[in-house]
Amino acid sequence: MIKLENVTKSYSTEVTALQDASFDVAKAEFVFLVGPSGSGKSTLLRLMNRQEKPEKGEVWVAGRNINDMPDAKVPHLRRNIGNIFQDYKLLANKTVFENVAFALEVIGRPKHVIRQQVPAVLDLVGLSGKQERFPHQLSGGEQQRVSIARAFVNRPLILLADEPTGNLDPTTGEGIMRLLDRINKTGTTVVMATHDQRIVNMMRKRVIQLDRGIIVRDQARGVYE
Amino acid sequence: MFSRLSYTFREMWASLRRNFTLTAAAIITAAVSLFILGLTLLVLRGFDNQLSQWSGGVELIVYVENDATPEQLQVVRDALESNPAVIDVDRLEYLDVDASLAEARRLFAGDPETLQLLTAENIPTQFKVVPRPDASAELLTEIASSYKERLPKVISVAFPSKQIDVLSTLRGVVQFVLYLITLILLFSAVLLIWNTIRTAMFARRREIEVMKLVGATNWFIRVPFMLEGLIQGLVGAVFASGGVLTANWYWTSTVQSFPPDSGFGAFVVTGNYPQWVVFWLIVLVMLVGAIGSGTAASKFLDV
Repeated sequence: MIKLENVTKSYSTEVTALQDASFDVAKAEFVFLVGPSGSGKSTLLRLMNRQEKPEKGEVWVAGRNINDMPDAKVPHLRRNIGNIFQDYKLLANKTVFENVAFALEVIGRPKHVIRQQVPAVLDLVGLSGKQERFPHQLSGGEQQRVSIARAFVNRPLILLADEPTGNLDPTTGEGIMRLLDRINKTGTTVVMATHDQRIVNMMRKRVIQLDRGIIVRDQARGVYE
Repeated sequence: MFSRLSYTFREMWASLRRNFTLTAAAIITAAVSLFILGLTLLVLRGFDNQLSQWSGGVELIVYVENDATPEQLQVVRDALESNPAVIDVDRLEYLDVDASLAEARRLFAGDPETLQLLTAENIPTQFKVVPRPDASAELLTEIASSYKERLPKVISVAFPSKQIDVLSTLRGVVQFVLYLITLILLFSAVLLIWNTIRTAMFARRREIEVMKLVGATNWFIRVPFMLEGLIQGLVGAVFASGGVLTANWYWTSTVQSFPPDSGFGAFVVTGNYPQWVVFWLIVLVMLVGAIGSGTAASKFLDV
């Protein structure tokens, strides 16, 4: 589903965010990217949805080399990738329903599809009774669930999650991980950058560890270390 | 398709309301600059009307009585063509009754009393004379003054070279000053529209980031902002057009109340020209608004 071949990315002559990174992620796989701040986890995620382009190497997503992809095709690539963020990135002036519907609306889905898919995904993330609430009326965990619903409402092939439990307490974080695990079991590939040692150790999924832009470990059913 | 349209208009309207003061400033500046541009075009048209009988280098007009026979007209033509060193014979032009009437309608547009007196039966026909570039003014004056006495049916000979120069110079000055003011104001209007859109986009940068990440195309994001700029321009142009048409109507009715020999008759703009000016003002500013805001929007689309 995702393939990186000798990818190097730097932000300046002194800062190399990623150096000669290569790995494959299979369909429906769940992968943790771990490592200290500045190790290149977020850069990897940004390369996968074409927010960044590498200096060297190739990034393949769903069978396409996305480095060569014309800019006009990038929105279509992104419709197959859901993004989840540490700070949720919800729109404060929109209700839960509207925040999720927004993701379908801006890619031109008709109203009847929106009316059908949004309640279904809110039910999946356990927010069916809170459709009319605004983000500030929700807890952190609930806000992250809205963010996941928005990322998943279009049934993407891949979910990229950047520290999704970073702002949450351990119990709420575990709930979010159970939700991501359920989504993964529907066949969606999940790549998650995290610092959260407890969660990585609890999930026992594949772990790719980065250190100063270099992949230092790639372990199936790994732990944080 | 319908959901996209509904989204576009909803977002545009919300954005216009959110930035009301900036929007109002952009509309007012656009309206004022377009109003001045419209007036400039009308004033220049007035000058052109006044100068139209002297266009193409004509400096001397020989007016001939309406009932001159073809033979008498030929005598006048022969006399004019007998001075090839002074008169550019190839550019000698004769305006018959119909052509003279058409010109009179333009020249006396703001002087209906005089216009009413001019009919196909009494309007003089005219020979328009273009002097050679090296012909001296004294020689021309001498020839011109001799025509009236010795040629048949000649009513008068007009040779107002100094007045033409004054009018042409005045037209140039007016054109320069008004175009300069228009340009500055139009530039301000574009900057204001640009700034309004940038502010609107900055306020919504989080939303735009999300839109980009869920796969919205740049055009989908840009169009409501372009529409916003276009609407600002359009509203400004509608106010300006109303102002231009009202000013033209007021000027026309004022000139018509002047005495017949006031000399302002030709400065009136009639026919479809004012509507044509208004149409192009609207097209111009809508384009400027849409393109300006579309460009302003591009900065925030690099996610």
